[in-house]
Amino acid sequence: MTDAVRLPAPFARATAEAAAPVYRVPAWVAPALFLLPAFATLGLWIYWPLIEALRLSFYEWNLLPTAAPVYVGLDNYRNLLALAELRTAAWNTVVYTLGLLPLTVALPLLIALMTREAVGRAGAVYRAIIFVPMIIAPVVVAVVWRWLLNPDHGIVNKLLGGLGVPSLRFLQDPDTAIWTIIFITGWKLVGFSTLLFAAAMTNIDQSLVEAARIDGASESQIARRIVVPLVAPTGIFLTVLTVLHGAQWSFVYINVLTQGGPRHATTNLYYLLWEYGFGTFAIGWSTAAGMLLFAAFAVFAAIGLWAMRRTDRHAH
Amino acid sequence: MRIESRAAALRSHTLLTVLSLLSVLPLYWMLVTALRAPNEIFSTTPWPQNPSLDNFAYILGGVPILRMLWNTAIVATLTTIAQLITALLAAYAFARWKNKWSQALFALLTVTWLIPAQVVMVPGYLLVTRFDMLDTLAALVVPHAASAFAIIMLYQALRAFPDELIEAAVIDGAGHLRILRSLIVPNLKPALASLAILLFITSWNDYFWPLLVTRSQDSAVIQIGLQMFMTQEGNQWGPLMAAASVASLPLLALYVVLQKQIVDSFLRSGLK
Repeated sequence: MTDAVRLPAPFARATAEAAAPVYRVPAWVAPALFLLPAFATLGLWIYWPLIEALRLSFYEWNLLPTAAPVYVGLDNYRNLLALAELRTAAWNTVVYTLGLLPLTVALPLLIALMTREAVGRAGAVYRAIIFVPMIIAPVVVAVVWRWLLNPDHGIVNKLLGGLGVPSLRFLQDPDTAIWTIIFITGWKLVGFSTLLFAAAMTNIDQSLVEAARIDGASESQIARRIVVPLVAPTGIFLTVLTVLHGAQWSFVYINVLTQGGPRHATTNLYYLLWEYGFGTFAIGWSTAAGMLLFAAFAVFAAIGLWAMRRTDRHAH
Repeated sequence: MRIESRAAALRSHTLLTVLSLLSVLPLYWMLVTALRAPNEIFSTTPWPQNPSLDNFAYILGGVPILRMLWNTAIVATLTTIAQLITALLAAYAFARWKNKWSQALFALLTVTWLIPAQVVMVPGYLLVTRFDMLDTLAALVVPHAASAFAIIMLYQALRAFPDELIEAAVIDGAGHLRILRSLIVPNLKPALASLAILLFITSWNDYFWPLLVTRSQDSAVIQIGLQMFMTQEGNQWGPLMAAASVASLPLLALYVVLQKQIVDSFLRSGLK
């Protein structure tokens, strides 16, 4: 927003029309009308469905219009919590989230720190290239990696074969499948996170760095004591984003590449909701699991918000 | 000092080159595979020996891929326009009228960030069927006509707008819509353009909601079309990579033209 504010000329003309208010509209009408389109949409498609999902979580139903939902009280919750499948999915959700953090926070921070030295005009080129995965559709990313990692003809296995490594079944082996999906999810985000850290670093007052350098501080001391604390808000932001959305980002890759398999190795809570809802049409289970997830979310979000406020206060 | 900084620059170049290669080689391989002749699909030469468009011809003859691209363009454009309008109106209200009610509503906006799509999908799906919109493009646009993210972004842009100018316009007797149209929109053009880019790309790449409400090829967006194609002919690598290329080319072309603006608008949404 570097443009200067421009004031259009003909505002004066309207003065006469506004001079004679005979009947006054209540003051809340105008703001309400302005908020209406947005909140009617969000209310109908997000808030109301959330309440409706809560209601459905107390019923047993198979989504058929001909079958009436049967009230079962807390049974759905009780059954779910006793289910090994849910525990696997919950554990995998934790693995996804923790597995993504190095790719969305630690590695980008490290790369941004190590590339602080001016790279001149080439910087713009790197920036443009590194960002590309971010705008590629997740479905495209999924099918491309499916081809690259194909056990028989994929280029990755052919390159590994050249080094004498036997063909790896990245997505078919229960031990490696979840890490493969985490890698693919992270591949899309690592460049964006790096650029975000780099942008935060260019905002740092260079006189601080120069002063430390004159005082004889080493580059690694400058990085640790000055740069990292000053980009902490960006780190917290990316951490919160990953904790809240990381496992959700993997949904596309799970659905396109593994459907939760092999042997539930790659399923997570989001995928479980989808399977219950539209795979087996266990609406009560799907919505009850959704409510549990939402509750867990609210707790994490509260912690994240608190952490962001805290670092923001420290940074300014 | 000189040698040290030259070594550091070399380190920077090396790291960034590795990261750059990792970022684009998978996509390069997609294009190379798509351009290979069908009998050379499994070749590992770094570029196609006998470049051929057979794979593209194959998918154009098999799936209504152009129709799907058209659907996606319509859905992404209409969604972006709707989200911009509803967000502009709401952000204006939040900026102009501040009281405990507007604060409560604003807090409610941030809650949408915490509601995963999978949690509200069943009631959402039921609403779509009740409105008889299943398997239509309307089902992809109408539920997404407002975006909490867009409202918050525009509200932040509006907060930086000088109050005195709006006050002056009010004293001159300008109505709210007039203030929006002839004072705020012209001055917020950069912020609006940057937001429009983000919303368009998000909508173009959306997968989960279309997966829920699409049934047929004719009303599918390209992401769903690509998945349908993969399910049917999963190991036809040439045509599959051609389809993936076609699905990404429009956004890649946009990126080539607006590269700086696109990167900036993504980064700005992350840096507050």
